[in-house]
Amino acid sequence: MLYQLALRNIWRNRRRTLLTLSAMIISSALLILALGIFSGMLRDMLVSATEQYYGHLVVNSSGYQDDRDMFRHFEMSPDLEDVFKQDEIIGASQRLRGFGLLSHEEESAPSEVLGILPSQEKNVTNLQDSLISGKYLTPDDRGGAVIGAGLARRLHVVPGDQLVFVTQSADGSIGNDLIEVRGVFSTGDVGHDNGLILVPLVWLQRVLVLPGKIHEIALRTDDPLNAAELASQYRPALPENMEILDWGEMLPEMAEVVASYDVSRMIIVTILYIATGLGILNTFFMAVMERTREFGVLMALGMRPGQIRTMILLETTVMGSLGLMCGAFLGVLLSLYMAIVGVDLSGTLTPITYAGGTILPRLHAVIEPGNIVIPSVCLLIVSLLAGFLPANRAAKMQPVVAIRKD
Amino acid sequence: MALISLKSVTKIYPLGHQEVVAVDEFSLSIDAGEFVVLAGPSGSGKTTLLNMIGCLDQPTRGEIWLDGHDIGCASQKELSDLRLRKVGFIFQDYNLIPVLTAAENAEFTLMLQQVEKKQRRKRVLDLFSALGLDGLENRKPSDLSGGQQQRVAIARAMASGPAVILADEPTASLDSQTSEELLLLMQKLNEEQGATFVFSSHDPLVISHAKRVVRLRDGRLESDQ
Repeated sequence: MLYQLALRNIWRNRRRTLLTLSAMIISSALLILALGIFSGMLRDMLVSATEQYYGHLVVNSSGYQDDRDMFRHFEMSPDLEDVFKQDEIIGASQRLRGFGLLSHEEESAPSEVLGILPSQEKNVTNLQDSLISGKYLTPDDRGGAVIGAGLARRLHVVPGDQLVFVTQSADGSIGNDLIEVRGVFSTGDVGHDNGLILVPLVWLQRVLVLPGKIHEIALRTDDPLNAAELASQYRPALPENMEILDWGEMLPEMAEVVASYDVSRMIIVTILYIATGLGILNTFFMAVMERTREFGVLMALGMRPGQIRTMILLETTVMGSLGLMCGAFLGVLLSLYMAIVGVDLSGTLTPITYAGGTILPRLHAVIEPGNIVIPSVCLLIVSLLAGFLPANRAAKMQPVVAIRKD
Repeated sequence: MALISLKSVTKIYPLGHQEVVAVDEFSLSIDAGEFVVLAGPSGSGKTTLLNMIGCLDQPTRGEIWLDGHDIGCASQKELSDLRLRKVGFIFQDYNLIPVLTAAENAEFTLMLQQVEKKQRRKRVLDLFSALGLDGLENRKPSDLSGGQQQRVAIARAMASGPAVILADEPTASLDSQTSEELLLLMQKLNEEQGATFVFSSHDPLVISHAKRVVRLRDGRLESDQ
């Protein structure tokens, strides 16, 4: 009976109910969209920091990432390979790293040369998706290179041009060789675009005189936010002089950004829902105030204060649930649009590199359960709180006083 | 034993820094089946007395007994229960619940008492028939005339078979012909079903239909005839 009465009371003033519902629906939908876009920016940063270069996990000789000493190398072994044969690991790439001078005609520039196995690297990083000209390295390529756009500009090279690479080799000699530009990539990350070049692993092993050696194995996991846990899971299985680092250890600033995301999200949710909650509270209070006399009559007829309270709370809960369902639906639709289509801002903005990651000039949403559940649950709590105050007030009325109200 | 018994009842309301004595040392006894009018000018204490008998308010001093229950000592929960089980109210402005149909309004107290749907619908249809409301069961209060609304209010007050039906100025919003019809109806219900009616009114028409007229002035009993 209370439920039936509550439902009918909701629709007795349709215009007000629709206005209140609109406030609930729009606020929750926009919040879901905003959080989705916020997550999208974070994902872009995380992807640019890890999936363009570092990987989610890196295995190397102890201390290698501190100084990138050429002599902290190791050989891939079947035992080591077995450590990463796990469901969570979706790619592993062996790498050798060298630093030297790249020259083309009159131009030269210092650069980081990363020796890779193209078929493995594709499973860990996505530089192949950032090519702006030419093509990526093929598995059987022995003398090609993919070069950052900034570096290519500086050296005035395009695909097909030849470069000279000069470096100090492991045996103390001067290693040098010619290499042909196959493609040019542009990631938006200034550091990589201006100083990184990818070459076949065997080519770099020959130039550095480190046959069969590598400096690191970069790993890609199914969930980058789970990388730290996986690192501690694999650590005991590694040989004594080896270490495994997650991206948070390699990029501590990025780890801070991710950690602060949850706090930022809660601040946004709180601010928006305080504003929405006050609006809803105002409407519910008005609805209760104008029914004061009716509550007096209901109490005169024998309805208990607790039943009055329950009836009003049912009204607000039904409104909240309806607002929640429609708001979540609209929010997911808007987020889906922004996830699939998005908004390209590259005409007015340039990429921003921050904390090791790059914020791309676009609005792109990512749909995560938390971004839908948190606004939905908050809306329900706000509705219940906004309903509780007037409900409590109505329940505490003296029937003889309430009945005299006009 | 009397159905309603008031013993030296006083009700004082605070009004700013002053106190207003609405009912002063008032005693009265009403038996089951009576048709009583509490008459008197505005401010004489009729509505205050009716509110206390109807468990909406409690006396400052004195005792009020309703069907063996001491209203002055009852908790809010007990007062709610007494209102539900023992009292039926008829208000001046009908006070029907706007979102319920006429039949649902009349059934309301039975619903609160958790009476089975079939049983309460039968009871209400019988009352509607007796009150000349056939065919209006599914109308909303806003679709009924003043007289029809007050009949629905009478049906609501009668539905659960309360010990007493209290009517506060029940004809004040009605024309004289409709008032006359309603008073005759209530008289009939009093005579045929033995329902106890206590009115508060200064309407001569209501007073002329009463079997017993209790006159009040300044919160005190003036006459009881």
